[in-house]
Amino acid sequence: MSEIISNLGLGLSVALSLQNLALCFIGCMIGTLIGVLPGVGPIATIAILLPITFGVDPTGALIMLAGIYYGAQYGGSTTAILVNIPGEATSVVTVLDGHQMARQGRAGVALGVAALGSFFAGCVATVLIAALGVPLTKLALVFGPAEYFSLMVMGLIFAVVLARGSILKAITMILLGILLSTVGTDLETGQERMTFGFPPLSDGLDFAVLAMGVFGIAEILRNLEHTETRDVVQATIGRLLPNMAEMKQSAWPIVRGTALGSILGILPGNGAVLGPFASYTVEKKLAKDPSRFGRGAIEGVAGPESANNAGAQTSFIPLLTLGIPPNAVMALMVGAMTIHGIVPGPQVMTRNPNLFWGMIASMWIGNLMLLVINLPLIGLWVKLLQVPYRLMFPSILIFCCIGIYSINSLPSDVIFIAAFGVIGLAFIKFGFEPAPMLLGFVLGKLMEENLRRALIISRGDPWVFLTRQIDAVIFGQPVGIPLSGILLAIAAGLLIIALLPSIRKGRDEVFVE
Amino acid sequence: MPTDVDAGATAPKRGPIRGPQNVVSGVALIALSVFAVYLVSDLPQGTLRAMGPAMLPRWLAIGVGFCGAFLLVIGLVRDGDGLEKWTFRGPVFVALGIIAFGLTIRQFGLVIAGPLALVIGGFASDETRPRELVIFAIVVTAFCIGLFRYALNQPMPILIVPGTSIHI
Repeated sequence: MSEIISNLGLGLSVALSLQNLALCFIGCMIGTLIGVLPGVGPIATIAILLPITFGVDPTGALIMLAGIYYGAQYGGSTTAILVNIPGEATSVVTVLDGHQMARQGRAGVALGVAALGSFFAGCVATVLIAALGVPLTKLALVFGPAEYFSLMVMGLIFAVVLARGSILKAITMILLGILLSTVGTDLETGQERMTFGFPPLSDGLDFAVLAMGVFGIAEILRNLEHTETRDVVQATIGRLLPNMAEMKQSAWPIVRGTALGSILGILPGNGAVLGPFASYTVEKKLAKDPSRFGRGAIEGVAGPESANNAGAQTSFIPLLTLGIPPNAVMALMVGAMTIHGIVPGPQVMTRNPNLFWGMIASMWIGNLMLLVINLPLIGLWVKLLQVPYRLMFPSILIFCCIGIYSINSLPSDVIFIAAFGVIGLAFIKFGFEPAPMLLGFVLGKLMEENLRRALIISRGDPWVFLTRQIDAVIFGQPVGIPLSGILLAIAAGLLIIALLPSIRKGRDEVFVE
Repeated sequence: MPTDVDAGATAPKRGPIRGPQNVVSGVALIALSVFAVYLVSDLPQGTLRAMGPAMLPRWLAIGVGFCGAFLLVIGLVRDGDGLEKWTFRGPVFVALGIIAFGLTIRQFGLVIAGPLALVIGGFASDETRPRELVIFAIVVTAFCIGLFRYALNQPMPILIVPGTSIHI
């Protein structure tokens, strides 16, 4: 315990430097802004801002990028409550009760409780990351290539199980993602694979290009198809702070939402997106009068909002401790770290303690900032939401072009985002979710590397993934644990469970609600 | 200017295809798989002990092909979703705008590439008002030059006039 406190103390001393405070503030502001604006997600924004962080030291860069991510979770709820459309994918459920509350003239209370819940969740998640950081890092240090490979397989299976829609399609997208990651020069033999002899492809596809095309541009194309009517709440926003009765009503939902969101956030895949859905379902089941839900129940705002913020933050855990990004945003963080010469993984904590703890402490500071800056700025956000989409989308378009060009100064990258944008639109139209593909793409290179290494060590024996044992000490007895085999068994078990007809039905219901 | 074209056969189809969305995805995935297998066909596969460059891509492509075949079968035996409508205006203008940016940024700089991308891309929406868009494009480009080149110090050509020494 004292270790955690001293580590957080170190982190605070890093995060409280003037430069890092400023970067944290900028990150939170940009995050809130893009969270408020529907159609601009954190993925595209972080990809655009990636080259800008070249000039900053790595700690500051990651503090800012992290701020964008969790700031977006705050901002998304503002749009959900005031405009009846989710600003972010994670605030889809907030729309249901949040906007009803706004209609009843309780917009302020809904926004207030969302902010307070998010703040509570952010604090808990920060402590959780600090607490889990050390043990998980120790665990990661005993991992060999076989364990890493199996862990990534398990992560991808999680992503399949947690993805929306067809399991078969999710598996296809993962395979496709890994396949795309093999484009480019083979690291061991130096031979070019699937490059068509086209020089820009010999380095492989750039992750930012793929992400910006499939998420940024495809999202614009999708929004252009259905012109949504925005009904911004005209009624007064009212008082922001919930009264005692409302606080009492929302206290437990916030706690439960935080717990659910934290757990789901750690899981690879769509954890942060799933948390709010799970929280809403739980609150509705627990409520004495479930019919209030959908008509402005404060629990329906408090729970999911806490869950999405908790999930957004705990999704840093696998990245910081194991070096495995659990979702597309974290994959971009890998890019940001690599650019600065930091290899994500267990060694980050020991080699760059300032970065590790500074970033964690900055999350708490960022949450505090968000609480303070968010509520007074609501008037400004409402104004921004009135900018018509016909002017907003060309701006997003040009930001994407400039952003992607400034990464490598390659015109071909710009043209690739157009191609991936159209491909991304096709994926959506045919019922394929792009997120698992991105995850497969990011993990693909790591997986191939570890697969090869594991097989070289085992002299070509594929059973190594099931049989390799790790030395451990349990109750004073030295024992060998087949960790890699256990991870693969969990993956296989999950997949089988997800394919069982009865579970499949339940899974569909969670997403429908 | 192309108007919205109904590309998908959205009317309920009779015949052996019961889930058109799955059938089309399946066929596309099989084609992709064959293409990828062909692309790595001249690379060595190696052995498990010393994996060659082709091993992983080849088997992944085969996996994608299997998934495609599976989807195709599902589409033939089980009722599924129909094809969604495509409207061409959005994708065409957005893609053209981005391509215009890519083709002009290095030769002419942001002063030309920016408004070009904004105006062409802007026509993707059918609510666009041309005069408003042109003014908006100039303002946004000026803003981007200030933000990216001067505030954020990004290496970005602003204006290049070919044949002269103007190169900002």
